[in-house]
Amino acid sequence: MVARTVVAARGVGKEVSSGGAPLTILGGVSMEVAAGESLAIVGRSGSGKTTLLSLLAGLDVPSAGEIELDGTRIDGLDEDARAGLRAGRVGFVFQSFQLLSGFTALENVMLPAELAGLADAQERARAALDRVGLGKRLDHYPHQLSGGEQQRVALARAFCGEPAILFADEPTGNLDTTTGTQIVELLFEMNAARGTTLVLVTHDAQLAARCGRTITLRDGRLDG
Amino acid sequence: MASATAYAARRLRRGWRSGELVVLALALAVAVSAVSAVNLFTERVRAALEAQTGEALGGDLLFRSRKPLPDTLVAPSSGVRSVDTASFATVVFAGEASVLASIKAVGEGYPLRGSLRIADEPFGPAREAAGIPPPGEAWADARLWQELRLQPGTAVQTGASELRVTRVLENEPDRGNGFADLAPRLMINAADLPATQLVGPGSRVEYVRLFAGPPAALAPLLEAEPPENVRRLRPQEARREIRNSLDRAGQFLDVAILAATLLACAAVALSARQYGEKLRDEIALLKTLGARQAFLGRALVAQLLLLGTVGSLLGAAVGYGVQAGIAALLTDLLQLSLPPAPLWPLLAAAALGLLMLLGFAAPPLLAARRTPPLRVFQRVETGSGGARAIWLAALATAAALLWLATGDPKMAMAVLGGSAAALLALAGLAWLLVLALSPLKRAVGMSWRFGLGNVARRRRATVAQVAALGLALMALLLVSVVREDLLVSWQEKLPENTPNQFLINIQSDQVEPLRRFFTERGHGEIELWPMARGRLVALNGAAVTADSFDDPETQRWINRDFNLSWGTALNEDNRIIEGEWWGESGAGQPWLSAEDYAIERLGLKLGDTMTLDFAGEAVTLTVTNFRTVGWDSFKPNFFLLTTPGALSDAVPKQWLSSFRLAPENRALLRELVAQFPNITVLDIEAMLQQVRGIVERIVTAVEFIFLFTLAAGLCVLLAAIEGTRAERVRETALLRALGARAGLIVRGLIAEYAVLGALAGLVAAIAAQTVAWVLAEQVFRIPYGPRPLLWLIGTLLGACVVAVLGWISLRPTLNTPPKTVLQQA
Repeated sequence: MVARTVVAARGVGKEVSSGGAPLTILGGVSMEVAAGESLAIVGRSGSGKTTLLSLLAGLDVPSAGEIELDGTRIDGLDEDARAGLRAGRVGFVFQSFQLLSGFTALENVMLPAELAGLADAQERARAALDRVGLGKRLDHYPHQLSGGEQQRVALARAFCGEPAILFADEPTGNLDTTTGTQIVELLFEMNAARGTTLVLVTHDAQLAARCGRTITLRDGRLDG
Repeated sequence: MASATAYAARRLRRGWRSGELVVLALALAVAVSAVSAVNLFTERVRAALEAQTGEALGGDLLFRSRKPLPDTLVAPSSGVRSVDTASFATVVFAGEASVLASIKAVGEGYPLRGSLRIADEPFGPAREAAGIPPPGEAWADARLWQELRLQPGTAVQTGASELRVTRVLENEPDRGNGFADLAPRLMINAADLPATQLVGPGSRVEYVRLFAGPPAALAPLLEAEPPENVRRLRPQEARREIRNSLDRAGQFLDVAILAATLLACAAVALSARQYGEKLRDEIALLKTLGARQAFLGRALVAQLLLLGTVGSLLGAAVGYGVQAGIAALLTDLLQLSLPPAPLWPLLAAAALGLLMLLGFAAPPLLAARRTPPLRVFQRVETGSGGARAIWLAALATAAALLWLATGDPKMAMAVLGGSAAALLALAGLAWLLVLALSPLKRAVGMSWRFGLGNVARRRRATVAQVAALGLALMALLLVSVVREDLLVSWQEKLPENTPNQFLINIQSDQVEPLRRFFTERGHGEIELWPMARGRLVALNGAAVTADSFDDPETQRWINRDFNLSWGTALNEDNRIIEGEWWGESGAGQPWLSAEDYAIERLGLKLGDTMTLDFAGEAVTLTVTNFRTVGWDSFKPNFFLLTTPGALSDAVPKQWLSSFRLAPENRALLRELVAQFPNITVLDIEAMLQQVRGIVERIVTAVEFIFLFTLAAGLCVLLAAIEGTRAERVRETALLRALGARAGLIVRGLIAEYAVLGALAGLVAAIAAQTVAWVLAEQVFRIPYGPRPLLWLIGTLLGACVVAVLGWISLRPTLNTPPKTVLQQA
């Protein structure tokens, strides 16, 4: 049985205007990610990795080409429709953690489940925090947590809404090697347990090697 | 030092480009422009109002003497006009009848300010006169027409000449309201004066020279010492009711300035705190790189001074432009021609801006200097080090600013005390409400849960924000409370039923027939006051004459007869300031109640005795209390009051009355005069209209200035909301990335600000009323009661205004593309 395609890009390009002259960040990128698959996007700084991730997740729209997310064409959708599509289906892990500073760990983790309208958001969040080993730090604010702990909260948040697809942008970029390794372990463990599709941007070769497949970007184009 | 300054300049440039300093500079500029615009406009309105009240004097400046005025007293420049008048008392004859009249000879061009009003017959329709009586003619007031039984064209004998009376003189701008002392008026042309042969050595003539012109041109006359025995009078010194109006207007305008100053302080403090927070990361990094605290301190002070200079100059320029634009728009509405704007309020406002920056912005920024370098690794809380010093500095600066802005320590303390109490109350209530919100958020919909959740979660930030918003709202409400309530209370002091007719010379046996006259004609009861006229002959048993006093004003005052009345009840516009009112129990006691002007002139104390001579009958009375009198109420009032029965029957007594008569019923006066020929009618309708007109113009000016302060308050409110922009952008991007739709974010934002606004509005309403009450009681001395409806209005207004402003101001952040979340490393 062939797994369903959950993320697809066909001839995707992104141009921005720089001082009046168009600057091509991405050009003619086509790719597919199957359900349950884990994909690493690698490349040098400035190669367009993060731009591709933001297009695939519907955070931005391409200048050319088509993008499908969980079976829906999103390149023609407006901002709000794309947000609605993400709610409950897509999870994120960011390099800079991106926790809301005024929210406790529990409240940060609850957010996606609440946005998806799940009635048991709080229970899920407690369970997820328990899962990442922070069951006793529920009421702590981000500034009371170390970097590794903050990223673990971010992981709990990413999985709390039980998303079909998880996008991760340099998830270990701000962490030391040991902590980074722990986070990676946790990420793949949770991913395997839930069968989540993982799309990950990194320039860490070891991390990329943990993924089922790797694509490389060079100057905004797929290499090879 | 050089390197610190260079760093400061570089930091400022970068901060400006990145926008983080724009809010602080803007808050400062808004503050300085608000204060300078209000100050400038106030100054111009003040000057214009003073020019306006020149009507009360017939000119902008008056010199008065018992001797002909020296020829050296002339207009200092061609822009100044002048005219002479001469007044004296003499008997005027018309056929068989004769009356002691006050003659006023006026020169061409009189009056320089205001106008003469004349009519063709007594109590007929009045109109503005085109000039003065032509030579050979005279204009007589209604009283003289009445007492001499004049007809149009009747010749009157005045000294050696005969003049034809052609018009009824209804009003002359500088007539004053000392009605009981005035003889009826006959106005003649100055050209006819020599022919009367009434003016010569030894005659008691009052010579007046009036001047009018722009204030700058009049300055030499004001600066030079007046010639010997010449008294100089400015409009605001002329008439009590006008002077009181101007003083009151000054106080209202001061409240407007106080509100603007407070708002400005709140804005600067808010923005500085935000900037200080942003600086902490950078300061930690600089310390890591080896920067010492002294270097950082110098760099911060240099930044503040540079920013302060730029912001203050910008604000002063904007303030100048704004007030000029508004003045141009409103010249017609205000019915005032405003003099050019002076420059000093701009400098004062710029200095105020610098002081504000040092008092409100420097402390939180300098506190940021203590950020530990550890912060580069970890976001450690730096605690509230120096928080007390910051508060103290802010409080001291606010007190100094308020005092400087108004020059009235009592009012400054009332406003500051009210604001400090409001801040504490706001913070306490906000804390309680935040606690109460937590359970509430489970019972409401998603958007509200987000909004309430945001308010409840950021407990400290919420308390600070509510306090700031509350302060701004309090200033706005204070302005509206003052405008609505205090101004109305003031206007009500001259209500529509203010008496416009006075009856004097009523004999005791005419009191009852006179009451009947009015009740039979459906006019209702009239009030009558008894009165006796006496001369002060001894103080504490020692004989006194005018020569006993050095002060010329006291000498003049002593030379007149005092009007003394008696009773057991005080007029409503009288207030006892020392001692006690005798009430019913005082009947027959030899007691005296004196108005506070008498204290000032005679240096009276409680227990002193005054001996008054009533046509040969000397009566000694003991001062038992002092009063203030609302002279602007137009009710008969007396410097001296005694008890009923204190004066023996031998003292000649009269009665006087005042009442309101609609202009269309003036025919009643003719009937009254026919039935009671000895009673004199004084019609002060024209004077009343003049005072009411001035009050109305002042109220319009004050209302307008309050509107301006209101706009400044809204700017500060916006600045407070703007302070959360960066956090909003980050949050919005993340929420959208996580799948929140725009509607949810908008509703959550509106819910959050509505809750903040409602909370701030409620406490602001309570605080504003408290401050208004203190102002009404202590400063304006007008009655003021609580208005519970304002609490509801405050809550709703706060919710709506803050929600709408929050939405308008933060709407652009809602469009933050979610991809930015990936760019924030």
